[in-house]
Amino acid sequence: MSFWLTCSGMVAVTFGSRLAGLLVRMRLPPFWLRFLHFVPIAVFAALVTPSLEGSRGEGGIRVTAAALAAVVAWRTRNLAVTIAVGLATFWLLRLF
Amino acid sequence: MMPLWFGVAPFALAYAVLARDTGLSIVETQALSLLVFAGSAQVSAVGLFGRGASGLEVVLTTFLLNVRHVLYGMSLGRVVPMTRRERLLGAYLLTDEAYGVSVARGARSFPFVLGTEVSLFLVWNAMTLVGSLVGGVIPDPERLGVDFVFPVAFLALLVPLLRQRIDVVVAVVAGVTAWLLAKWLPGGVPVLGAGASGALLGAWLTR
Repeated sequence: MSFWLTCSGMVAVTFGSRLAGLLVRMRLPPFWLRFLHFVPIAVFAALVTPSLEGSRGEGGIRVTAAALAAVVAWRTRNLAVTIAVGLATFWLLRLF
Repeated sequence: MMPLWFGVAPFALAYAVLARDTGLSIVETQALSLLVFAGSAQVSAVGLFGRGASGLEVVLTTFLLNVRHVLYGMSLGRVVPMTRRERLLGAYLLTDEAYGVSVARGARSFPFVLGTEVSLFLVWNAMTLVGSLVGGVIPDPERLGVDFVFPVAFLALLVPLLRQRIDVVVAVVAGVTAWLLAKWLPGGVPVLGAGASGALLGAWLTR
């Protein structure tokens, strides 16, 4: 599928979801409300782990830097600071 | 609003740098910000492109991530009266942040909601452009290890969501599942599979 076809699909499902709630009067069963609460948690976690080790044999330092970044994320809840600390740690560890 | 713009700006920058590193053109990078306008879905899509995921897998993951907007619409539609045309425009620009601010400030009028949404849209798209231009001139992104931004960015999105023990359980199970699946399956299947089954597990465990 080409980029633009994929982009159209993304627009359709995103705009569709946003519009559906505003147009349609409905009630979701509690099970699916809880499901929606857990979706970003599960998807973000599933996006972290496969790309954690990388493909250049730097798994050890990447996991270490990511662990420190996770602590920073937990303490600060700040995206920019978390990414900065994660990358800086990664580059520092690489030097040794 | 100001703190929100400061939160959105670096996210848009990170998105655009990653998108350019994955091989998207400036036009394609901007198109996602202009047309889809959904930060976490855009970063996920770029991550999936990088893994060689198919378009269908990217669209399904986008749907899984964005279907929660149904809830925001239902909630906003109850408290803010809107005409049909306003609903179309309001829906196009609806985001977590705009919903959060509108509800927190007790918005009762469409112009307030729209103003919030438009300001976020402008910041998001301006910073996407800046990130695209910066991302284009980073020398040798491979050697810098730019791809390491992906797991760190998703960690930064994930960690603040972990409020209860069950949230941590779901994150660990989904993370381990995706990691194992990624050893055998290509593209976006591990993310979709672990994401959907992790959320199902959470909903089932809290019954």
